[in-house]
Amino acid sequence: MSVLDKLPDGHGDRALLAGLACLLVGALFAFTPLRAQLPSALYVFVEVGILFAIYGMLVLGLDLQYGHTGLVNFGHVVFFAVGAYATAILSAQDSFSGLALGYPWPIGLAAGVVVAAVLGLALSATSIRLRGDFLAIVTLATAEIFHSVFVNFEETFGGNVGILGVPRPIAALVEGDTRLVVTLLVLGGVTLVTLAAVTRLTEAPYGRTLRAIRADELVTRSLGKSTITYKTQAFVYGAALAGLAGGLFALYNGAVAPGFFTIQVTVTIWIGMLLGGAANHRAVLAGLAIIMGLRLVSRFALDVTPVSGDVFASIRLIVVGLILVAVIRYRPAGIWGDARELGVDR
Amino acid sequence: MGLLQEIIFGLVTGSYIAIAAIGFTLIYGIVNMINFAYGEYLTLGAFIGLVAATMIPVPLPIAALVAMVGGGVVSIVLARGFFTPINDTGPVPMLLTSIGLGIALRNAIRLVGGRGARYFETETATFRFDAIPDVSLGPVDLLGGFFVTSEQLIVIGAAVAVFVAIHGLLTRTDVGIAMRAMGDDESLARVRGIDTQLIRDSVWVLAGVLAGLAGVLMAIQTNVSADTGFSHILQILSAAILGGAGSPYGAILGAYVIGLVLAVSTAFLPSSMTGLSSAVAFVILVAVLLVKPSGIAGKEVREA
Repeated sequence: MSVLDKLPDGHGDRALLAGLACLLVGALFAFTPLRAQLPSALYVFVEVGILFAIYGMLVLGLDLQYGHTGLVNFGHVVFFAVGAYATAILSAQDSFSGLALGYPWPIGLAAGVVVAAVLGLALSATSIRLRGDFLAIVTLATAEIFHSVFVNFEETFGGNVGILGVPRPIAALVEGDTRLVVTLLVLGGVTLVTLAAVTRLTEAPYGRTLRAIRADELVTRSLGKSTITYKTQAFVYGAALAGLAGGLFALYNGAVAPGFFTIQVTVTIWIGMLLGGAANHRAVLAGLAIIMGLRLVSRFALDVTPVSGDVFASIRLIVVGLILVAVIRYRPAGIWGDARELGVDR
Repeated sequence: MGLLQEIIFGLVTGSYIAIAAIGFTLIYGIVNMINFAYGEYLTLGAFIGLVAATMIPVPLPIAALVAMVGGGVVSIVLARGFFTPINDTGPVPMLLTSIGLGIALRNAIRLVGGRGARYFETETATFRFDAIPDVSLGPVDLLGGFFVTSEQLIVIGAAVAVFVAIHGLLTRTDVGIAMRAMGDDESLARVRGIDTQLIRDSVWVLAGVLAGLAGVLMAIQTNVSADTGFSHILQILSAAILGGAGSPYGAILGAYVIGLVLAVSTAFLPSSMTGLSSAVAFVILVAVLLVKPSGIAGKEVREA
């Protein structure tokens, strides 16, 4: 009997195993004199890969809310942002703008998750009963409100500059190429563990109830399920996950600013989710990989085309917008989604 | 500046938001979708007006007419291309489509029109009223002298003309009555022999015409860049929901409430936080959806 046969069967367990392996290898690099060398051509891939791991947590949370429960949250970036800001404010040292309290970073990270979850709870307590398109508007408006609060309250949030001097735990241990590799391994590992956790959650009867709510809320309620409670829980889980992603982003980036948390983030993860196929965890990650791969391609294409960066950014966004339109029209279930289960035509 | 001055600014802002909000709310009521790309229709209208006023050159009223016709054509073409084919998929896919379309349009405008802001060249007469005494309440002056420019009077006058025209259209013409019938109950309207697709198309044209006019007025009052429409879409949306989504009269009321709140909050907020005044509009929106989601004159939007 080979080792391969002993590997677990379920997607969730495999993701857990892969995630733990990533974390272990990451720790090996971080705590031993072992060092990694990267060819310079790979830098851009690793950087996009790190961002992909962070956005991956966002899309998994969003998929729990929209794909499984049918909650149309179009302000997901707000939870990402408050998680990042909470972590930054608590753990930053000597930022020349905004508040910096200088607590150890694990406290900041925990606070980021809690603050995002509390915001999610407050938002769902007030708005979860709204019809889909109106819930989308409320969440989107909430994201815009917080964005302008971050920009305008300069004494607390540092205005457009944001908060600098956030500790970078990985950069404190290792430097150079090894730092990039370790960051990718650790964040990728956390995302894989998250994937395992949400897979566990949605394969359980709990997940079936969530999907029943998405399919028909009235029927689910008539079976004695408190749909509002389930919807609130799903919303808060998604928000807390986004808070975790935000906190990790702050600790990786070493700074937060309003520019990192625009509506563009929400749009990117929505397109990734719809393109891959909502309600399928691995599919939404694959969809996100495609849309972020496009970003990579466009970065290379920029070098060989004679147009300016501004023009190129506009063209890229036109393409992104049209992809969203085309996916909804021609492949409403996404590439790997189950059309019959999602209740869409075709 | 006195509060009276801020109220005048609020009325002007409310006027162009009202024109746009009528178009937005008609689409909501009859096509049954939240059109998030509607702000881009305003930007397009303003740019069409600018091209007419500077390249051809024609006088401003004619440029506004050109923008209205252009807005109507753009609106029906986009609707036919993007929204009519997915009419029966429900509100969420249509909202998402309009978000995607909005991103594409906004960046296409930026690609063609550039990043900078543009202005209409207008001759402005200013009427001053300085004789009014100041009544101070803390840092805020409750009365105070004020001025009105001819541009501001044009914007308010155009809005009033639009309100009268829309009222006439909805109550006196067959198309308008059919629109109200469809907003009420689409199946019943179809049973009564109303060509629902034709009415939907006319709503798209009407909304585009209104967007074109609102865009030009906005550009006259301030300036126009690729982001002009997008930066106003949440205010338009707030006005429409505040008034009760689907109700044109409610939208007018909602727009003036939003306009006045924006202006007055500028007067009361400390000067370092005037950027927050746009957030105030969204706070109103969220509050309305929480307290009375049906708005001042609308239907229930909660499911459970």
